[in-house]
Amino acid sequence: MGVSRTEAAAALSDIEQTTSRSHLSRGYLISGPILMTWGAIWVAGYLATGLKPEWSGAVWLPLDLIGVVASIVLAMRGRSAPGAGAGAAAGLGWRSAIGALAVTAFIVVTFNLFRPVDPQAPVAYPGLICGLVYVIMGVWRMTRFAWIGAAMFVATLIGYRLFPDILPFWMAAVGGGGLMLGGLWMRRA
Amino acid sequence: MAQLDELIHQPLRLKIMAALYAERDRQPVEFSRLKAVTQATDGNLGSHLTALERAGYVEIVKDFVGKKPRTRATVTPVGRKAFRGHVDYLREVVEGVGD
Repeated sequence: MGVSRTEAAAALSDIEQTTSRSHLSRGYLISGPILMTWGAIWVAGYLATGLKPEWSGAVWLPLDLIGVVASIVLAMRGRSAPGAGAGAAAGLGWRSAIGALAVTAFIVVTFNLFRPVDPQAPVAYPGLICGLVYVIMGVWRMTRFAWIGAAMFVATLIGYRLFPDILPFWMAAVGGGGLMLGGLWMRRA
Repeated sequence: MAQLDELIHQPLRLKIMAALYAERDRQPVEFSRLKAVTQATDGNLGSHLTALERAGYVEIVKDFVGKKPRTRATVTPVGRKAFRGHVDYLREVVEGVGD
């Protein structure tokens, strides 16, 4: 017994869609722990910023470095398994690192260009930029990133407008906590 | 000319094989993730996985994470070959090879 051309085409289409869902699911599985790590970094960084504003610069630099290294390790661990191409895993790790460094450089450079006078602006700015980056990532491939990015963008604006006096703590709880919850949501996709 | 594989051609089994083939070089796929990717129900997925396991196309790995039982599945070398052969067959039908 054979199958018709229409039936064969439908089966091939099913295979393609399942493969695509499988890759998407793998992407979420790798991204979840990375997002949760950045959530923990945000909690630590913004708490330090709120408690000791003068330590802010000294605290964020090592935290960001830890985040970049952890992202590389988690991405490589997620991709590499017995028989998997080590080159592909390393490539993903480096792409993650370069992406994180590009976002950090963009935040620092634009902040220096515009030099905001409002002391709360540098606290809110990373939340807006990261929210934007996640929305763009979500629009292209992983939809859940778009929801997390939009929520982060809106939450940052709410904190900036309504709770400026406790903005670092707001960012630690809502931004950092939100990233951790978002990571958990992705991992369960 | 490639041959039709009747066992794989059933729609859910085809999705299971496609999902496991996509993860062939990685760790076995957890049952819950396979269920989400194939959009199957627990009972359906379990019975079709058993059929594929009996044919030697799939290996089911059962273990514990802490005290929680975990079921994972992976495609065997025989299953990979059968899946590739079935996909080749489907492509030949679509392209009209042998008409």
